[in-house]
Amino acid sequence: MADALLKIEHLRKSYDGNVVLKNINLKVNKGEVIVIIGPSGCGKSTLLRCINGLEPIQGGTIKLDKEIIDSTSKSITKLRQRIGMVFQSYDLFPHKTVLQNIILAPTLVQKRDKKEVIAEAEQLLDRVGLLDKKDSYPRQLSGGQKQRVAIVRALCMHPEVMLFDEVTAALDPEMVREVLDTMLELARQGSTMLIVTHEMAFAQAVSDRVIFLDNGDIVEEGTPDEFFNHPKTERAQKFLHTFEFEHIK
Amino acid sequence: MQALGLDVLFKGSNFLRLLEGLWKALGISLIAVALSIVLGILFGIVMTVRNPVVKAVCRVYLEIVRIMPQMVLLFLVFFGTTRVFGWNLNAEAASVIVFTFWGTAEMGDLVRGAVTGVPKHQYESAFALGMTKAQAYLTVIIPLAIRQLIPQSMNLITRMIKTTSLVMMIGVVEVLKVSQQIIEANRMSSPNAVFGLYLTVFILYFVACWPFSLLAKRLERKWSN
Amino acid sequence: MKKSVFVKVLAILTAAVLLLASFAGCASNENTASESKASDASQTDSSASNVVYRTLDEIKSSGKIKIGVFSDKNPFGYVDENGEYQGYDVYFANRLVKDLGVEVEFVSTEAASRVEFLETGKVDVVLANFTVTDERAEKVDFALPYMNVALGVVSPDSRVIKSLDELKADDEVIVITGTTAETYLTEKYPNIKLQKYDTYANAKTALENGQAAAWANDNTEVIAYALQNKGYTVGIPELGSKDTIAPAVSKGNKTLLDWINSEIEALGKENFFHADYEATLAGTYGKDYEEKLVVEGGKVE
Repeated sequence: MADALLKIEHLRKSYDGNVVLKNINLKVNKGEVIVIIGPSGCGKSTLLRCINGLEPIQGGTIKLDKEIIDSTSKSITKLRQRIGMVFQSYDLFPHKTVLQNIILAPTLVQKRDKKEVIAEAEQLLDRVGLLDKKDSYPRQLSGGQKQRVAIVRALCMHPEVMLFDEVTAALDPEMVREVLDTMLELARQGSTMLIVTHEMAFAQAVSDRVIFLDNGDIVEEGTPDEFFNHPKTERAQKFLHTFEFEHIK
Repeated sequence: MQALGLDVLFKGSNFLRLLEGLWKALGISLIAVALSIVLGILFGIVMTVRNPVVKAVCRVYLEIVRIMPQMVLLFLVFFGTTRVFGWNLNAEAASVIVFTFWGTAEMGDLVRGAVTGVPKHQYESAFALGMTKAQAYLTVIIPLAIRQLIPQSMNLITRMIKTTSLVMMIGVVEVLKVSQQIIEANRMSSPNAVFGLYLTVFILYFVACWPFSLLAKRLERKWSN
Repeated sequence: MKKSVFVKVLAILTAAVLLLASFAGCASNENTASESKASDASQTDSSASNVVYRTLDEIKSSGKIKIGVFSDKNPFGYVDENGEYQGYDVYFANRLVKDLGVEVEFVSTEAASRVEFLETGKVDVVLANFTVTDERAEKVDFALPYMNVALGVVSPDSRVIKSLDELKADDEVIVITGTTAETYLTEKYPNIKLQKYDTYANAKTALENGQAAAWANDNTEVIAYALQNKGYTVGIPELGSKDTIAPAVSKGNKTLLDWINSEIEALGKENFFHADYEATLAGTYGKDYEEKLVVEGGKVE
């Protein structure tokens, strides 16, 4: 635990006086998969955005290795290269093809050799089953395909941590699976991941640890088995109950 | 031919003079358009800055351009600079300055609208990939904004071409002025020439502006698949 | 972060504006290179004392004079089908240029910009059917006149109106709104009923349909109308205050003004303006009005 990859201490975040995150303490080890769940508006997405320096914070520290993540500092672009992020909204660049989307940042930001990046991008696309779409434009893809490309785009930067912000929330049900499978595959390979999701079955299958966030606080933390089968707090129990249905026949 | 007075068109060098007039109008407007696009993109980006002072300055500039008739601007630049600074701008240069001054403001406002119209998550995914603000603007935001911009800026360009007829006020003989000269010179002999000439000028403006809407259509089609 | 990009953008913008300014500067240098050489010596204080014009000697040594003329007011100043300037004003301008021994650059001017062109020295002389008025004389210097203008009244041959007193109580007179004729009749003859039209074409139709007894306008206009339309006569060729047309130079340009005046006087000896009339205006107005319109030698009778 001493050499956690990502270390969040006393994180406080507020928008115009509204406190969104109260006092978040979280350590993420290398190779760990953490799922963050909680009711909407509890601050899950904000937490991910703070980790990527997309939001200024009002207190506490976020460290990647030993470096402090500060959204206003010059080093933020360097740090963001080490953190991959996939959003809920389809965020591929609409004016670039699938391949161009993927190689843009590695060649422009990391100044890597274009040929080498293309080779890697094609290999990654092949793994998610989308190599034949490499010259398509985002609007020619389905939602699930777009999200898989977005994952590949983030991966191609060789991030040390991957952040997933409700990546399946906007998808049609039949497309959710293909995206979740891709993420499971990543987890299996030992990637360090922070996942915000509403897919409870997936959360249980993929995570090493579950964080339950409510009202800007970490209310409960534990293994998936502990959390889903024996939730300790009343709030967690109530929340999990909302996903269950009584048999009416 | 006779009824429309089109025979007047082919008297002497009349038609050639019309074409020269068109060339002059296009020369002035296209130089101004090119400068306006470059400066307008920069101005548009400056307008998206949240600094209140910058905002106010941009607003004032934009309002001046909107309120001032282009005529007044032409007089100010052509005659005013001579009175105040003793500069002796030639009429064409004064015209280019005025049209650029106007075009930059209008183009800038279009760019501002287009840039702020680019969805927020496009900025964020660019930043999330480690891009600096400049990299994000150059590779993502501006290219996306330009795509939104094309139809409106084509409209601005054709308006600029047509408004060049004002430069006759400071002595530049452009296509509309040439047509008036021809109409007047033949007032007695072919009073109907007025119809034929305005028809010709209409066609010439159309021919000059048509390529821009064609280009716009092609780009739109290219970017939509 | 944000600031540095902003500063960069501003820097580029400033650079671009400077570039534009220098481009404009270049253009102006090019334009004035030839004449500024000649005038630099005497005009070093030009911005201070606001001397915008070029003296006679400066024009002569530059080898070129700029004359503002109309390019679409046939038959006073217009451009023919070969692109050559023609007309009563231009005929005179060409003579001035010849006697001065320089080249000419005609600048196409509009009625609304004639004064500005002189006030900023962008032309040396204006010869654009320029009516002498007190208001204009405060801003530019008029030379001796070379033509008369007045109002005229045209009426059908069946009942030619020779004097406004002949009009009966229910007779109406056509005017075009915004013209000198409208102002004059409203002020001096408030009892005459006016029929007002916005365009020349509408006024013409009204007269031809017999809707009014007469039509009042600039005398050159009604004279031309009567000559082109059979059955109409200009019963009153001169009405109201007689105005004159004269060349104008920038305020204070005494050397040029004096030279033009002496030129007009000298030309009177050879009946130059009569020749000018016959060459340019006779086709439109006929020979009958020659004496009424032409001012010879700068002397108005």
